[in-house]
Amino acid sequence: MNFQVIGRNIIQIAVKYWDKFLIDGLSYTFALSAITVAFGAIFGAVLALQKMSKIAPLRWLSVAYVEIIRGTPMLLQLYMFYFALPMLIPALNKQKFACIAIALVCNSAAYVSEVIRSGIQAVDYGQTEAALSLGLTKTQNFFSVVLPQAVKNILPALGNEFIMIIKDTSLASTFFIGDLMTQYVLIKGTTYLPIEPLVIVGVIYFTVTFILSKVFGFFERRMRHGEAR
Amino acid sequence: MEKQDNESLISVRELKKYFNDGEIKALDGITVDINKGDVMVVIGPSGGGKSTFLRSLNLLEVPTSGQIIFEGVDITKKKSDDGKKLDLPLHRRKIGMVFQHFNLFPHKTILQNMTLAPMKTKGLSQAEAEEKALALLERVGLKDRADAYPSQLSGGQKQRVAIVRALAMEPDVMLFDEPTSALDPEMVGEVLAVMKELAKSGMTMVVVTHEMGFAKEVGNRILFISEGKIVEEGTPDQIFNDPQSPRLQDFLSKVLI
Repeated sequence: MNFQVIGRNIIQIAVKYWDKFLIDGLSYTFALSAITVAFGAIFGAVLALQKMSKIAPLRWLSVAYVEIIRGTPMLLQLYMFYFALPMLIPALNKQKFACIAIALVCNSAAYVSEVIRSGIQAVDYGQTEAALSLGLTKTQNFFSVVLPQAVKNILPALGNEFIMIIKDTSLASTFFIGDLMTQYVLIKGTTYLPIEPLVIVGVIYFTVTFILSKVFGFFERRMRHGEAR
Repeated sequence: MEKQDNESLISVRELKKYFNDGEIKALDGITVDINKGDVMVVIGPSGGGKSTFLRSLNLLEVPTSGQIIFEGVDITKKKSDDGKKLDLPLHRRKIGMVFQHFNLFPHKTILQNMTLAPMKTKGLSQAEAEEKALALLERVGLKDRADAYPSQLSGGQKQRVAIVRALAMEPDVMLFDEPTSALDPEMVGEVLAVMKELAKSGMTMVVVTHEMGFAKEVGNRILFISEGKIVEEGTPDQIFNDPQSPRLQDFLSKVLI
């Protein structure tokens, strides 16, 4: 292996393909991740509330869903949504970005629901007892006492989930969605070089996730100070 | 006869609480009347059911059977005989409770802890609620800590705040669930002093405690609960100086050293 040549190739490819391929890929990766996190959190919250519901069938439905999603490979789920969704919903025909986005949302929601559920259940039950003893209703207790404290448990884990998702979206390249990993395959095809573009894409993924984890860490620390201040 | 009914604030009838299909009988038929102005101190061995009894009075613990008639309403019934649905939060507003572990809301300041329930449930404006809260805080010497968070207070201060937080709802009765058990010894006094003052002001109180000094000095009725039953009941003088049952004699010989 000639490291000098590889190094030179990396720089050349990075410069040449930056605005043609890489920026494009990064924006797709970001868009896909943002959609997944936002809708995954909403869907996940619904699943979590279902799982804590008094109505048993709702609980079973949520438990079964989470177990199935967690118990099957993500790539399998992507294939399933990619082929089955357009059959069920004709409007999604040839809308592969939408199909993959929906698949990622459904996958993420299962994990996020567990984060939200455990975040809510981690709030000391004494808090609820105090609120009820003061005459608050169950709804008032949930929104004024339990939820604000649960959010502090949930947000850091949700930050981790965001970082996981950014990396997981690379699986979408299987379907040529246009994300960062798709761009790698394209650049590899044009340059016939497998290693160099891989290093470039890897550095981009790492930089993005590293910065994000530092940003989330900053907010997490600030939130903790807020309580004691 | 009728007069007696009026005076009784809480009437407990044959209250039972079973766990594991009756395998564990936490409460095994408790019958007692709590009258207006009573300072009833509940003593007894750990696991004997005194906390379960107290927590049943505002239905934090749902009894297996029996009745709790609070101000004329049986709060164990979800629907009254004339078909009216029970508004449990409405009754709980009149029953203040203080917990062993304070249970202050850590994400709210002391002032916010005290104004939350009055504003949410009684429709008080923020200004009204804060004015009342500050007056109560002044009463327990913590007015200058109004903007602090619970984590910045000592255990004794937290419990004093918990007491006035409950008082801010202007309850008709106050329940205390081992209010000094989680405190460092040097902070027990300041909390008992507040409770003593409260008793003097005429508040009806039910206190579960291991502080026998407080029971003797402040209580007007002592309940000795063991194995889910009221074993003995009487004035402090009767209970401490002339205990009848062997169970109480044994208990007192262990706690009064």
